Amino acid sequence: MHDTVDIALDVNGTQRTLSIEPRETLAEVLRERLALTGTKVSCDAQVCGACTVLVDGLAVSACTYLAVDADGRGVRTVEGLATDRELAPIQQAFIDHAGFQCGFCTPGMLMAATALLAEDPLPTREAVIHGMEGNLCRCTGYAHIIDAVLAASGTGTQHEGEPAA
Amino acid sequence: MIPRFSLARPRSLPDAFEAFDASGGDAAWLAGGTELLQVMKMGLAQFGTLIDIKAIADLRGLERTADGSLRVGALTTHRELERSPLIAEELPGLAALEARVANVRVRNTGTIGGNLAFAEPHSDPATFLLACDATVRLVSPRGRREMGVGEFVQGPLFTARDPDELVLDVVVPRRAPATGRAYEKIAFFERPAASVAVRLAVVDGTIGEATVAVGSLTEVPTLVPEAGAAFRGSEARPEALAEPVRTAFEAFGGIDVIADLNGSPDYKRHLAGILLGRAAEGALTEAIAHA
Repeated sequence: MHDTVDIALDVNGTQRTLSIEPRETLAEVLRERLALTGTKVSCDAQVCGACTVLVDGLAVSACTYLAVDADGRGVRTVEGLATDRELAPIQQAFIDHAGFQCGFCTPGMLMAATALLAEDPLPTREAVIHGMEGNLCRCTGYAHIIDAVLAASGTGTQHEGEPAA
Repeated sequence: MIPRFSLARPRSLPDAFEAFDASGGDAAWLAGGTELLQVMKMGLAQFGTLIDIKAIADLRGLERTADGSLRVGALTTHRELERSPLIAEELPGLAALEARVANVRVRNTGTIGGNLAFAEPHSDPATFLLACDATVRLVSPRGRREMGVGEFVQGPLFTARDPDELVLDVVVPRRAPATGRAYEKIAFFERPAASVAVRLAVVDGTIGEATVAVGSLTEVPTLVPEAGAAFRGSEARPEALAEPVRTAFEAFGGIDVIADLNGSPDYKRHLAGILLGRAAEGALTEAIAHA
């Protein structure tokens, strides 16, 4: 027999208690034990950002983050963004600005943007680019993604000195 | 998948050392995991036990000590350094560096102690802290010891740390009067292709003591004493830096630069020359501001 550890974590507002192996990553637990497959794993090396989820509000790479390290914490995934039947502003902004093509990077992009806007509700375009630079989109729709994040920010409008989208 | 391991979660240093003992030596310390879990996942390392040190209070803290130096607990994350008002005031070069380490997810979890202990040849903090004359303090069942960053980092992925020893903290000497410390890098991938750190002091309108360290060029962050010497006695004006930078760059010719995915030795040396000019100007500007 191998070791198991009991963990209790809040996932998108729901308390979950699980018995897992210490080696299980948060991405594995979310996808395979909780069937929350919105979180994607791509590079599996903390480079691409597809697996970005929030742990106590901080963006982390779920592919290389042990689920035991989320014990007692709050985890937020892309499934936790919409409320009832209403999309979160960041989700609507991605639709309005065509912020995705194939969509594989989108959950990670949305979570990275959520963390970014929580910390800096009125980011400059430069701050958005810096904050999102660790999330890769191989369809290369970056301009639309940046536009979407800016549109979802506090004012919901473009910032001074920037061309309208 | 990450290979199977047992997990220990000690809350004190004695408990941590006991857990290491109980593993029979087949254990590794786990903090942010950004390096350790990655190499385990890739099959490059395997341990029977991981000892999670994140609950050990002795390894935390970020403060100015009685003598004015900065004490950075090993568990301090890159993000905490990036956003610390104390670091922004005392060591702005480190705050700027940390804001550009890898990506925000790695910065949220990766720690300064883990970064130094992993001794990745492309480490940003190690190169800067080497130029800052920082000290790494270690603790083990045999007691405490300390050494400079240059002595601590002995080779690529290899340090002076014993397996059962922990990085306790990093201590950066207080800023001497009219001194500046700056770091510049260029990165095409997650880690820098080349980086240069400069620390210099201004005395009576000229540059006094100067230190130059390069990163990502060789197997370990490296001091280049001849480059530092090239700045001494130069006029302390940013506009007058071209000549000493040119002389300092000549000293880079003596560095046995390693080719890697970022480019050939000559190309990486060329990049370092550009960065040297920027770092020297940054350090001088900071020094003048604190004269």
